[in-house]
Amino acid sequence: MDSELIQQIRNQARDLLESGTVKGVIGYERASDGLTARPAFVYELAAVERLIFDETCTHNLVIYLRDKKAEKMAIVVKPCDSRAINLLLNEKQIKRETLFIIGVTCPGVVETSWNYKGQTLQARCQTCQLSKPLVYDFLVGHEPVEWPKAVPYLNVQEMENKSIAARRDFWLGQFERCIRCYACRQVCPGCYCPECFVEQLDPLWVGIRIAPKENELWQIMRAFHLAGRCIGCDECERVCPVDIPLSLLNQKLEKKVKELFDFQAGLSPEEQPPLATFKKEEKLGFEE
Amino acid sequence: MRWLDQLLQERILLAPVRVEGLILFQPVSKVEEVALDFGNTTFSPKEWFLPPTETLFSMQRNDGQPQLVPSMVEKDVVIFGLRSCDAKGIALMDGPFLREPADTLYQERRTRTSLIGLSCRQAQPECFCTSVGSAPNDSSHVDILLTEIEDGYIVQVITDKGKALLPQALVESEEALPPPPELQAVPTKQVTQAVREFFNNPYWGRLADRCLHCNICAYVCPTCYCFDVRDYSNKGSLERVRSWDSCQSAGFTRIAGGYERRATKGARLRQRFSHKLLYFPEEFHDIACVGCGRCVKSCPVNIDIREVMSDLEQLEAKSGS
Repeated sequence: MDSELIQQIRNQARDLLESGTVKGVIGYERASDGLTARPAFVYELAAVERLIFDETCTHNLVIYLRDKKAEKMAIVVKPCDSRAINLLLNEKQIKRETLFIIGVTCPGVVETSWNYKGQTLQARCQTCQLSKPLVYDFLVGHEPVEWPKAVPYLNVQEMENKSIAARRDFWLGQFERCIRCYACRQVCPGCYCPECFVEQLDPLWVGIRIAPKENELWQIMRAFHLAGRCIGCDECERVCPVDIPLSLLNQKLEKKVKELFDFQAGLSPEEQPPLATFKKEEKLGFEE
Repeated sequence: MRWLDQLLQERILLAPVRVEGLILFQPVSKVEEVALDFGNTTFSPKEWFLPPTETLFSMQRNDGQPQLVPSMVEKDVVIFGLRSCDAKGIALMDGPFLREPADTLYQERRTRTSLIGLSCRQAQPECFCTSVGSAPNDSSHVDILLTEIEDGYIVQVITDKGKALLPQALVESEEALPPPPELQAVPTKQVTQAVREFFNNPYWGRLADRCLHCNICAYVCPTCYCFDVRDYSNKGSLERVRSWDSCQSAGFTRIAGGYERRATKGARLRQRFSHKLLYFPEEFHDIACVGCGRCVKSCPVNIDIREVMSDLEQLEAKSGS
């Protein structure tokens, strides 16, 4: 654990709370297994000591900003999380002036689950192109150290090399296990619809049946709603109780959007996402 | 274990099976498929009594006349390898599902299912069954209980239903039952009273800050049983479908007109604990938690029911009650 980094976060939190600049600080604290981390909400000075930061801090805390729009909040943000902030700023879901962003030069996080801490960095960290958050008010941590990054989309290419039938068999087999807990949706910064399509009754897109056909529709439509918007935190995959490889699905669409539009979500709060934008010079698929 | 193959002749045998990284109760066709070295299954066996989705009944129109087609339970079932906590979970679900008027589908499944339990020789870090009225080797709610020993299993026949499963008389064992593993204690004595007393405490809103309001805790829990019912119609036929639902999801209390009784995260999170620790015991005289720890293990943001119970006891102690 980097105690200097943690002290910096706590000092910043203390200053912000004492001065009344923020109502609360959203950060990380130790989980009940004594090993991993969990999101922490600190509203009082006495609780500042609970804040930590280490390689188990995998959670994307940006999702909690959507519930705290009324107050100014401080938030601890990793580089990947900062892309989520840009996404939500761009889509007008949060206001910059309500945030105090404590950015962390993150050295990567490991795979964690209850009472388990992995030894190697998560796949998303191994391919991460960012060494510090893209947006912040205060930066904590050491000078970012460059380490050789893995080539992205190798797992996507491996799947692309398989036949359509093989791919279909693979994904339908995965979706069969889905129990529609919607943890993937709830943990995703990009999923903020007040009424998700899957909850709509009129028109009834999916319905309540927890069964393969409905699961398939749910999974594929959510992936498509995130095309060009997913910022690759892979939290959906971590939270899935039945181990569906959601990051593989999302990365396929991310790769496609990158190839077609040379665009990746969350790199800037200004750049318009391609699937929400129409440019006259884009081909319409027929001769004009 | 060969004996299990014999049971397969006229019955469906459900047993823990390794599926990718999970351990799931699945129908098996031979004993080799059964996983015997596991902590606990990813999902509780409740899904075999209250399936994630089922058709309650369907209706068809024949010659202009509506005809009701009730759902049937096909075969007798044996569930092998369930833990004592999960067996207690089923017994707790009997409260709401078997009291008059009984849920006939649940009732039929329950009558036609035999339970072969497997004692825990080891506890998992999330286990706390001894704090909520169960034990790693509790035989109260199974038909047969197996306890693994060095060269086999000690078999305890608990009920007549269990006796009927055995092909022939077993050898009387001289072996004593090994002691069950030690478990951490969770304070539960005053938890019902505490939930009642601290209903309006800001504790719930604070705890709910990190809750995702997904359905994981309710779905992995052996005793959560909320469901949604919807009719699907198609060209003169109708199907009434029941599926799992959870009090945690955002629209759970939304009614016609858009009003939501539990509009806030804190109210929804409080509901799950209130149901399990207060309302259920008020009606059925036992808290609806069996200490399996699945919610603790599966919650993506570490909302830990043991911590909640301990926090509530502390609130109770501070208030001087």
